Amino acid sequence: MKDRLNDAERIISEMEKENGLAKVEDLIKDNSIAFEHEGKKYRIHLLNLVEKEELDLFRRRKFGQLLKDPDILLEKDLIALYKERGEDIGEIDEQIKKLESENFGLQMKLGEAISKNDGEQIFQTYKEQIQALIVQVQVLKTQKILLLEFSLENNLLTYVAQIITYLSLDEDRGGNWIRMFKSLEDFQNHKDEELINKAAQYSMILQYI
Amino acid sequence: MENIYSKLRNLAKSVRAQNLFVAVKELHGVQLFRNNFDFSKLQEIYLSFLYMYDTINRDIIVDKISEKVLDCELYEDAYMTWRRKNNKKSEKEDKSKKDVNLVVGKKINFPIKEK
Repeated sequence: MKDRLNDAERIISEMEKENGLAKVEDLIKDNSIAFEHEGKKYRIHLLNLVEKEELDLFRRRKFGQLLKDPDILLEKDLIALYKERGEDIGEIDEQIKKLESENFGLQMKLGEAISKNDGEQIFQTYKEQIQALIVQVQVLKTQKILLLEFSLENNLLTYVAQIITYLSLDEDRGGNWIRMFKSLEDFQNHKDEELINKAAQYSMILQYI
Repeated sequence: MENIYSKLRNLAKSVRAQNLFVAVKELHGVQLFRNNFDFSKLQEIYLSFLYMYDTINRDIIVDKISEKVLDCELYEDAYMTWRRKNNKKSEKEDKSKKDVNLVVGKKINFPIKEK
């Protein structure tokens, strides 16, 4: 009985794994991602040359706008301001660099141990040390991201992500893919937030990650 | 959309994907994707994982390493980091050996062909 249960669990887990892989396969079979939302078909496509030029125009325009805004600081100015208040981002960068170099050293040792087949116990020791370093680096990087959240550069990145979504979202109209929004204003005023969020996620993983 | 890297890795690591990859390399006309150019970021990352697992599998086949390496992503990454660094080192060594043979003025005694 126990064996049967184990077999059933194994088969279910294998099926789930296969199912998960099939979904990922769907994302890479070509350079666009089609999806359904509330019974309608949508697609995210890679930007073509004309759309890339359009994106560049939007980006430059926004950059000029942000530069004129006295409430938004460039990353370097924000870093200087933080330093005056006792928060040294340069120091965080140094720590990250040091930990990453330590991580690289450990990876080399683990890699060599694997090539010599030194045994599970040695692999495990290096693995735990590397995992601890990865967590430390992640904490520091998150800390830095939070501190620079409101920088001009970050504002611009968020805006660019929005424009990419606007330019790359198509809807299925009678078997033809047609760009969903005629203008940025239409996109920004669109009521279905769930659709926009889904499209934003797909457009980011398709051309940005 | 969490862990998309991990999902891509698992797909690239699967026997089916690796078999297809070998077929693509060896057989003319077999394609990995519907598109042959303008690859998405996702496709580029997937391709790099396919190459990575192809390398690891080939090293396992020739007994350079044991299958243990496939037990965790960290082992795979560490082995590939070490391998890349080591390959660069041996390439440099090979190059410097060749350079010695190309030193100007070095006399090379070719064997005289017997008539």
